[in-house]
Amino acid sequence: MSYEVKEEGNISTVFLNGEIDMDVADKAKTVISPLIEAGKEVHINLKDVSYMDSSGISVLIESHQKAGEKNTKVILKDISKPVLKVIMMAKLEQILNLG
Amino acid sequence: MLISESKDFIVSSASLKEIRSFSKDVFAKQDIPQELKDDLVLAIAEAAQNIVKHAYNGQTTTDKMKVKILFRDNEIEIGFFDTGLPVVPENIQHRKLDDIKPGGLGTFFIKKIMDEAIFRKDKKGWVNHLVLTKKI
Repeated sequence: MSYEVKEEGNISTVFLNGEIDMDVADKAKTVISPLIEAGKEVHINLKDVSYMDSSGISVLIESHQKAGEKNTKVILKDISKPVLKVIMMAKLEQILNLG
Repeated sequence: MLISESKDFIVSSASLKEIRSFSKDVFAKQDIPQELKDDLVLAIAEAAQNIVKHAYNGQTTTDKMKVKILFRDNEIEIGFFDTGLPVVPENIQHRKLDDIKPGGLGTFFIKKIMDEAIFRKDKKGWVNHLVLTKKI
């Protein structure tokens, strides 16, 4: 997994790339969490994520919940087909912010 | 018709990619829908992940686990063998639909994708033998 972060005002966009599984989930969390902690609105661009398992979904849930605690939000952008499939399989499409 | 392929992997999160790759290669030889292949790869990866997380508590080890994929007529059977902590099937809980929290999702995915997930006691030299089956 690789990533890129772009800042624009109070919005931080995290572009994730590759496969997100248990082996790299902590790395993704380490990128996203500090942005939420700083009160940023975080957009997670998932266009180039080719695979995501339950560990990756857990990162999305935790990020969503942490953002709620910090009175900000996490929005999932350009969700790739494989990622949308697991989000829907987990019945999270009504819970997570899909932008 | 009976086709079976198996491979051993180090019990580690770093092996998950290799396990997915092995599974994809096995399914590539079979005439089944791509969507089903993708689902099966996810179920296999989740089951392997559970071995790393729960049978070994995420601890580093040189132990190996075996993944065996078997095609029998209209059924796929996937076996997982490990020598970690014994699994008590009754203690396995998957996430409830209205429970919005991380954790338990892997088992939830496995149950959603596969027809059956059972632990067998017929293993030889292994501690746990999980069998996932799916009619095709």
